[in-house]
Amino acid sequence: MGFGDYPKEYNPSVHGPYDPARFYGKPDTPFGQVKISELGSWFARRNKSPQALAGVFSRAWWRWQHKYVQPKKVGIAPFFQLLAGSMTFFYVINYGKMKHHRNYKYH
Amino acid sequence: MFSRVALRSAAARQSTALVARGSASAASGSRDEVNFPRPVRGEPGKVRLGFLPEEWFQFFHSKTGVTGPYTFGVGLATYLCSKEIYVMEHEYYTGLSLLVMVVFAAKKLGPNIAAWLDKEVDTIEKDWNQSRTDTIKGLEDAVEAEKTAQWRAQGQELLIQAKKENVLLQLEAAYRERLMQTYSEVKRRLDYQLEKSNLERRLAQRQMVDWIVTNVTKAITPDQEKATLDRCIADLSALAARK
Repeated sequence: MGFGDYPKEYNPSVHGPYDPARFYGKPDTPFGQVKISELGSWFARRNKSPQALAGVFSRAWWRWQHKYVQPKKVGIAPFFQLLAGSMTFFYVINYGKMKHHRNYKYH
Repeated sequence: MFSRVALRSAAARQSTALVARGSASAASGSRDEVNFPRPVRGEPGKVRLGFLPEEWFQFFHSKTGVTGPYTFGVGLATYLCSKEIYVMEHEYYTGLSLLVMVVFAAKKLGPNIAAWLDKEVDTIEKDWNQSRTDTIKGLEDAVEAEKTAQWRAQGQELLIQAKKENVLLQLEAAYRERLMQTYSEVKRRLDYQLEKSNLERRLAQRQMVDWIVTNVTKAITPDQEKATLDRCIADLSALAARK
């Protein structure tokens, strides 16, 4: 599987047009329905290769795109979400420097 | 010749490729429309406060009630600020003023820009559909024109039939005219013959009468004339005596 290829499980004659937001592999229990005791085995079953990790981010990106950016008449929500997300991200990466601006020594 | 061979081999290769593709798709299964429906472009997801997904609030509703997510947000912010995990340095106040400006602009200009953008979206969609609707309309018009042309062609058949009848009528008229011509010509000739024979007979009769009269007049001698005259006088006198 090189760059720009479809996932191995994707079969056009069965799945129809390719949906980049969709996972075409064998579905496991959704993360929200996993019991705490089964969490270890659930993570053990996951494919932790770099390609699979990239696929996770790609699918999340496209799910967000399909939900908030790609509809015909979108509002300003995706822009505000990007704004809030980038603010949080840059706050986190700059936290080491921000820390020195604290006003109180004890909390 | 070579080019033809090349063409034929190319066609054969193409057909085998098509067959191979068809068999491959047939072997690997049919389209699963139930679990993998064709994706459709839906409505945008709902958000609250401009960017927080509605699902986040719904997630809280069953556990904390309607105000729960807001309480959680305020509590989290209070915690972050109180412990100075979120540090309020000079940029924080810049951010506050920017936030006020952004929210004010979004509230003030948002509806107008949204209406304008929606109008643009509709225009673009209409433009993209234009050629398709035009094609459909053109084809419908062509079908209508074809039906009219067929109707006209049926009219042409009627016209041809009428013309044929017309020609037949003309032929009939010409036939009758010639028949009449023949009749009158024959009658003229017969009249001529009749007239001719009548004339001949009349002429011959007159000739014969003339000849007979001439000969008879020639045959009368003076004695006979005198005797006849005497006889006439005697008859006259006899007639006069009887009176």
